Amino acid sequence: MPVSAGPVSAVLVRPLARTLPWRMIAAAGTLGLLLAATPRLAGEGANAWLAVTSLRASAVAFALGAAFLLDDPARNTTAAVPTRRVVRHGLRLALMAPVAALWWTGALLLVPRELRPPAAGITVEAAAVLVLALTGAAFAIHRGDGARPGQAVAGFLLASAVLGPLLSPGSWALFVTPDDPRWAAAHDRWALLLCAVLAAGALCAAEPVRRFRLRRLMSPSGTSDPSRA
Amino acid sequence: MTTTLDTPAVVAARPRASWAAVFALARFEARRLLLRMPVLVAFAVYLAWIVWRTRDSFGGFPALQDADRATQGGPLLVGLAVLLSANHAVLRSGRYGTDRHFAVLVLQPWRRTVAHLLSVVPVTLLATVCVAGQFTWEALKPGAVGHGSPAELLVGPLSVLLLGAFGVLLARLLAAPLAAPLLIVFLLLFSVFTSGFGGQGWSRWLMPVVGEGSSHTLPSDLLGRPAAWHALYLAGLALSAALLAVLLSGGARLRTVQAGVAGAVALTLVGAVGQSRDVPQETSEARTRVSVAPEKVQHCDERDGTTYCAFPEWTPRTGDWAEVVDGVRSLAGPGAQDRPLVVRQRVDARYGLDSDPLLAPSARPGEVTVGTAWGGNRIPEFATAVAGVLVTGKEEAVSGICDGRMVTVMWLALADLPDPMAGLRSVRLDDSDTGSAIVVSQTEPLRMSAAHTELVRELLQRPRNETAAQVRSNWAELTAPDVTTDRVAQMLGLDVPEPDEEEDECL
Amino acid sequence: MTPTVSASGLSLHYGGTRALDDVSLRLSGGVTGLLGPNGAGKTTLLRVLATAVPADRGAFTVLGHDPGTSRGRQEVRRHLGYLPQTPGFHPDFTAFEFVDYVAILKELTDRTARHREVRRVLDEVGLADVRGKRIKKLSGGMRQRVALAAALVGDPEFVVLDEPTVGLDPEQRMRFRELVAQAGEGRTVLLSTHQTEDVAMLCNRVVVLADGTVRFDGTPGELTAQAAGRVWSSEERDPGAKAGWRTGAGTFRNVGDPPAGAELLEPTLEDGYLLTLDGAGAEVTA
Repeated sequence: MPVSAGPVSAVLVRPLARTLPWRMIAAAGTLGLLLAATPRLAGEGANAWLAVTSLRASAVAFALGAAFLLDDPARNTTAAVPTRRVVRHGLRLALMAPVAALWWTGALLLVPRELRPPAAGITVEAAAVLVLALTGAAFAIHRGDGARPGQAVAGFLLASAVLGPLLSPGSWALFVTPDDPRWAAAHDRWALLLCAVLAAGALCAAEPVRRFRLRRLMSPSGTSDPSRA
Repeated sequence: MTTTLDTPAVVAARPRASWAAVFALARFEARRLLLRMPVLVAFAVYLAWIVWRTRDSFGGFPALQDADRATQGGPLLVGLAVLLSANHAVLRSGRYGTDRHFAVLVLQPWRRTVAHLLSVVPVTLLATVCVAGQFTWEALKPGAVGHGSPAELLVGPLSVLLLGAFGVLLARLLAAPLAAPLLIVFLLLFSVFTSGFGGQGWSRWLMPVVGEGSSHTLPSDLLGRPAAWHALYLAGLALSAALLAVLLSGGARLRTVQAGVAGAVALTLVGAVGQSRDVPQETSEARTRVSVAPEKVQHCDERDGTTYCAFPEWTPRTGDWAEVVDGVRSLAGPGAQDRPLVVRQRVDARYGLDSDPLLAPSARPGEVTVGTAWGGNRIPEFATAVAGVLVTGKEEAVSGICDGRMVTVMWLALADLPDPMAGLRSVRLDDSDTGSAIVVSQTEPLRMSAAHTELVRELLQRPRNETAAQVRSNWAELTAPDVTTDRVAQMLGLDVPEPDEEEDECL
Repeated sequence: MTPTVSASGLSLHYGGTRALDDVSLRLSGGVTGLLGPNGAGKTTLLRVLATAVPADRGAFTVLGHDPGTSRGRQEVRRHLGYLPQTPGFHPDFTAFEFVDYVAILKELTDRTARHREVRRVLDEVGLADVRGKRIKKLSGGMRQRVALAAALVGDPEFVVLDEPTVGLDPEQRMRFRELVAQAGEGRTVLLSTHQTEDVAMLCNRVVVLADGTVRFDGTPGELTAQAAGRVWSSEERDPGAKAGWRTGAGTFRNVGDPPAGAELLEPTLEDGYLLTLDGAGAEVTA
């Protein structure tokens, strides 16, 4: 007896907001702001390299908190509700997005103006890291890896953050300072990375109607008609 | 179902059984820890790094007092992975709600903490094996000299132990899975910050791995690094973190744990104080002695008319120097072929590892300076110095060459190398083989004009013996001060280069 | 009568394990019990039928909708209540808030009507007194009832309950049976359980699953009849029995192929279940 009076998302906002891991995000955000404030705290010794490095560390810290965004202890209880996963995940994202934007603005403003890297470039980097965290979480849920993938995703994100600068090919120049002539080209690559990860995240947002198996492609006995998908 | 009236308390009262359980749990946790994804990835990357780096590190001629410090950075990666995984292992029971079951088990929480701490030990041992492997590889290279320090080698494994113990402690302080990743980000930025900025004095020794600003090699007894104190400090810190974790998980009632924490903190303080003292007086004096009057500590060896004076740790390397000297000498003209030469090893150790001071050229006739490093670019640089002394007679005079003699010097230096053109590029600061450039040397740099470069390149492309004969027959004029580059070209049968504004211009 | 659920050839593999193998089922009105040993594929079958996980092969319809399409699954879920084996909660929510949250996810957006419905199901499962209490303060049995309320909210036509009586004390279990029986009036309820008494008391239909395949499909009476003439009593445990145990009266109750002249006993549903499994080669332990 569905009793509907308006879109689900409007009514869902309030209870869903309570299920978000705000404490995690707050802890990560606080540490992130502290990291972003390093150049200011360092005073005389600070330079542009320190500023851009602290902003990068700050973005990683916030993304580590955001990796827990899709954790939902009640996931299996609500496994078979008609409200689509894309709506539920989308609402969580929509609730966090303004917080993230506000937080990032604060982090940028904490860096002294003369040391601050170009905002557009560094923002693309931060967005790519954040989207990587969220896509990781969406992918883990898509694969059916439990109700709370946050911890594993945070580990993956941390490993990427540590190993990325060590292992990424030098020619990509992803981790350059603003005075480097490759800054602009590097941020074209960051933007590309952001789009790729976003696309992967979008693919993971939908709930699969059928399991993808090689055998299905080879045998005609799959009775679900693929043309209806 | 029947119930027996044997109370479990009987089992708990047998301490030996409890400790056996602790070790069994430690083995179980150690296996899980070793197979955790972050630890596996960290070890894979670490091993790949060891192989990639050690294949051609130090140009194939490592000084073991440098090679020991080169083992310290890699284990940090493993340490961070262990911090994360050990932290999650302790939090696992809370995460899956099994802590309610565990709370009533015989094994008390503090013993479980001990088991988690012990589970870090096998990973540390594995890291130790990796460090030992990397160092042994360096030590087995035929060109290896010097002495490694066990205390420096211990820093890597101790860092793994410290970070692992810290992961367990953190889990007992904050039962949040996010704490460890955030701490790692913080530690990374903090280490970047301290290594780049607050870098001087005692505070830099508080970090697990302490790098040096300079890359030059000193005799092992002049390093002045408080390596043993630092190892003690790290061990004390790891022990303090471990015992504090035990204390926090209910071991506070135990006298031994209280005493242990006090002891470990004392050990840490002793290490911290020990490592923050200045370089000892006798080391400073020895540094000055070695820098100012190296002949007092050197051992000299004569071979084919050349005397090789090396610091004690470097005497095995005189053979490598002799090969270069003989090669250059064989191409030189009459008189120079059997001019007595002294190859003297020199180092400016007065500032320790704080800076890379440039050595002044030797003022004694027939004396060539060789540094403490060898392999790679050092070989053509040394050959250039030898050729310069053979041509001018004195090292001091070499850097002043701006006339046609530069062509002879460079040809002599490079012609006997396996790949002379590569040698030419490697001694030039900008790695070029055309145009004018600075030539790097162990003492003061030389300068090649575009014309010099062109002539040297042409000579190197001609058959060596033909040029050698021409050089020998024109030796006196080729090595005369103020000989013009045009004249040198004529004597060696080359086209006179295009006139150049800076030609033979001695600045 | 059109069946509520009609499934044919459902198969699902996890890695190399075959969890479901060619399962075909038709369910309509009333309570159907799903019996089977651990690892038989009960939970997997329920998850597939509740659209929580897609099957590898096979097709099924619920109330005429095909969950193999996105739109069809949506329609099915509008008429579905699902209680998973280990339900998760937001521990900071009160019982009312949590069921209300699930009701919103079930697209009950009109506030007044929804709150009335949430109060109704909470009353129905006997949680009226504690609906303002946070879930983390509730006992295990109460939490299980919160989860049942979440499954029943919105008055679904097809209810899937995965071992709903686990962890309940005998009194709670009786109360639960009442609830499920009530729920089965005018609805289709499919519940999995280890308790043959639950099936005997509640279900008008029973399906036995073992190794991912259906071993029996019929009424509880028919399952009991499987054991007719195959249960006997003896002074010692009969070595020829498939299973035998000493009863409170001191004699042995044996199940299997009785020797000639044995004193036959009245079979129970459990005897029928054991013999069904045994015929299928499953391990029988008493």
